[in-house]
Amino acid sequence: MDVLWDAVVEAFRLLLSGDGETWEIIGRSLRISLTATALALVLGLPISAALAFGRFPGRRFALALVNTGMGVPPVVAGLVIIVLLWRSGPLGALGLLYTQTAMVIAQTAIALPLVAGFSTAALQQVDPDFRLQMQALGAGRLRSLWTVAVEARLPLLAAGMAGFGAVISEVGAALMVGGNIAGQTRVLTTAAVLEASKGAFALALALGVILLVIAFAVNLVLTAVQQHGRA
Amino acid sequence: MTAPPALLGLRGIAVHVGDRAILELEHLTIEPGETLAILGANGAGKSTLLRVAGGLRRPTRGRLSLHGRAATPAQLREASAAVLQRPLLRRGSVRTNVETGLRFKRVPAPERRQRTAQWLQRLGLESLADQAAHSLSGGEAQRVSLARALALAPQLLLLDEPFGALDSPTRAELLADLRDILATSGTAALLVTHDRHEAAATADRTAILHSGTLRQIGPTPTVLDHPADADCARLLGFDNILSPHVASRLLGRETDHAVAVRATDCRLDSDGGGAGAVERILPFGAFTRAIVRIDDTRIFSDTPASSPEWLTAFEPGTRVDVHINLSAARTLP
Repeated sequence: MDVLWDAVVEAFRLLLSGDGETWEIIGRSLRISLTATALALVLGLPISAALAFGRFPGRRFALALVNTGMGVPPVVAGLVIIVLLWRSGPLGALGLLYTQTAMVIAQTAIALPLVAGFSTAALQQVDPDFRLQMQALGAGRLRSLWTVAVEARLPLLAAGMAGFGAVISEVGAALMVGGNIAGQTRVLTTAAVLEASKGAFALALALGVILLVIAFAVNLVLTAVQQHGRA
Repeated sequence: MTAPPALLGLRGIAVHVGDRAILELEHLTIEPGETLAILGANGAGKSTLLRVAGGLRRPTRGRLSLHGRAATPAQLREASAAVLQRPLLRRGSVRTNVETGLRFKRVPAPERRQRTAQWLQRLGLESLADQAAHSLSGGEAQRVSLARALALAPQLLLLDEPFGALDSPTRAELLADLRDILATSGTAALLVTHDRHEAAATADRTAILHSGTLRQIGPTPTVLDHPADADCARLLGFDNILSPHVASRLLGRETDHAVAVRATDCRLDSDGGGAGAVERILPFGAFTRAIVRIDDTRIFSDTPASSPEWLTAFEPGTRVDVHINLSAARTLP
């Protein structure tokens, strides 16, 4: 119990003392994970719209694929990305391995199925005739899709939160494609793993507590947006 | 002098689901300012027809025209506005909802506000204007849905059983308001319904759709009272379709045709020998229905009476005669 209490005290000491390295890691973690979540939303929402409303051969297969992707371990996603970005791999010439860009790509791959899967379910919850009704009042294809998304904004934001929660807390892919390079690709989770491997459990746990505080703060903002106007 | 072209024309329209045709129409027109009711049972293809007319569903084949000119789905959507069976309102206030279509069509803000206020007032929604749309009752929500469509000043108002889920008094009031609005605005309307009373209350002409094909069309009073065939007769509330043999017995004259007659036009009499026997008595509150069997035919007779004496006189097993109001019986071709 002492270790846990020490971790909490250490976490707040690091946060409140303005420890430069800690805040740098926090900033990097947020930047990478929020970028990946935003990319997953940009890519995932059209995919979910196609899966929710489209009629094309293989739609069910694609949906099953997305749903399966929701359960893929981050380490597997990391492995696939590392094979692609490896020097001799198909995208090796881009020189992205062990960069923040590579981490964003890996985290986007992890968040995408979550965002697409939950968003598809969210869009399908809206009355199937709602979009037709909007078109019958003059909305074009995209505008009518947008109105459906606005109706489903609560579960859609939940999809975003699920995506963010998954990537801010994952370590496997970040470690594999980022390399945990101090000052470059070290994020909260990889730093925590490093400290734990050195036996500095209190510091590792403190980083874990900071991770939770950050995730809570981001989700608090998203929840406030989601629940705006509701008692 | 040639007649002006119809507002909307449908010619050679077919809609298929897989290999199955769910709608096949040779020719149908809606004239400017008229209300045309499409009467049909569930699954008759009414909603499909409405969606094709509004450019919301592409037919497998066929030609649609506006004012005599071939029209694309986008042009049909531009010319029409629809009210669907369930009032599908957006989150937000009643006012926001009434404005929805005007926003879609990029109507300038001052005009949008003016038209919204006008239709809120016209449909008695002013006091609810700032209320959350999702807190409304079914009748209020359908009023909002109607105001939202009418605010667009469409050439053609499409109504897909908009009163189906409403209670009787609410429905009657909304029907009366709709009738007044259509009469004064000159807006043409296509009303899809399974209820002949709604057609009677609003429509200039009525068409009967059965299994995706048009069976009958004409002025509403004529269509409602003169069914073209047995399917039309059932839809129009003629509960009894009598075979030529039974009809000859009950009418007291030979006929080679089936005869349709409403249950309210069949009166029972237990004084004579009795051509049939009461099989069942069904009390429905406002009226009582007796089911009488004559040979293999079941005949329905409705009466407002349900006194204990009446129920005793016509209890199941009683031999009765059935007297048909001859002026209300319709001979089917």
